[in-house]
Amino acid sequence: MSTDELRDVALADWHEAVATAQASGFTFFDWLSAVDRTYDEAAPGYDLVLRALDVSHGAGTHGIRAVRITTRVPEGADAPSVTDVYAGAAWHERETHEMFGVGFSGFDDGSGSGLRPLLLPEGFAGTPLRKSFVLAARASKQWPGGKEPGEGHDSAKSPSRRRVQAPGVPGPDWGPR
Amino acid sequence: MSPRLGTVSTDQPVMLPMPRVGPGSEHAPKPIRVVLNWGRRYSLWVFNFGLACCAIEFIAASMGRHDFIRLGVIPFAPGPRQADLMVVSGTVTDKMAPAIRRLYDQMPEPKYVISFGACSNSGGPYWDSYSVTKGVDTLIPVDVYVPGCPPRPEALLHGIIKLQEQIAGERLSGRAIAERLGGAGGFTPGDDSGAPRYTAHRTGSAAEVTRGRVERPS
Repeated sequence: MSTDELRDVALADWHEAVATAQASGFTFFDWLSAVDRTYDEAAPGYDLVLRALDVSHGAGTHGIRAVRITTRVPEGADAPSVTDVYAGAAWHERETHEMFGVGFSGFDDGSGSGLRPLLLPEGFAGTPLRKSFVLAARASKQWPGGKEPGEGHDSAKSPSRRRVQAPGVPGPDWGPR
Repeated sequence: MSPRLGTVSTDQPVMLPMPRVGPGSEHAPKPIRVVLNWGRRYSLWVFNFGLACCAIEFIAASMGRHDFIRLGVIPFAPGPRQADLMVVSGTVTDKMAPAIRRLYDQMPEPKYVISFGACSNSGGPYWDSYSVTKGVDTLIPVDVYVPGCPPRPEALLHGIIKLQEQIAGERLSGRAIAERLGGAGGFTPGDDSGAPRYTAHRTGSAAEVTRGRVERPS
């Protein structure tokens, strides 16, 4: 059981922090993704998270060392790309770009094609992993079963359960459902 | 998703004559029809479109314990061009939708589709996902729906028997086949309006299998 070392850096230091970690032995790139923190009123934005492993010592008794580097990217700002540090980060940055709409400046995966979509079908509009992305299926199509816990088929709604207002659920301005 | 994807498919439809069991079969007396349908219903070469965990149940149904080969379902079709029956088992995503439509279009007539499991019936537990198609019947016509998440192999056997009952009562005329395809014929080159919706002679365009983006009502 290994515990990740956590490093929280400013956006301007992002590239340097990643390069430093890589130079200090964390040579195995694990993953890069984002977390939607737009609800944070102090610093709304997206948390960019990168995890890398140091595999030079083997698992040993303490497990493989890992580091998790985090930075906050404000809405509309670009993060510096780390593809020059970890070439494998290219897919992850493309995925983060299409799912969260986070831009990466200096992105280079050797193809010269830039941050093109990776997973979504062509023509898809929107960034589906943002909390602001509304799941239109909930508004456009009736579902025969219960949408939320406590809404059984014909059973009365459980009064004890608070109405769930999860991200992606269309608000009342989408019309009656 | 935007429905305006441009002309992805530039295939020109080539209308061949509607397949028939044989000359005179349209006016075949009932006993002959029964014999012809009996031959078809017990020789279903199946093409498994396995997309998720339901495909494992499909494989279980083909194995020794449940053994749908005893019902005449043969799971060794080399490809869609040699198959009579397509079993869509698993979660259909919008990205996979054009491929499903294309492989269905490649199957020769007469062809049948079983939608196996909650996901391919309606989207299942992923009904509100941004990427999951709300049922494979939005892409291709489905003959039998097998409910369950995943359905047991016995449920697939029951679905196959239901399909065979449908085949037994089927009419064989060219017009009956055209009706199943969603068009009555009368096709003229250069004009797609009279062409059947589903046929092996034309390939569905991407615009036919994609959903438009739903905007907030204003």
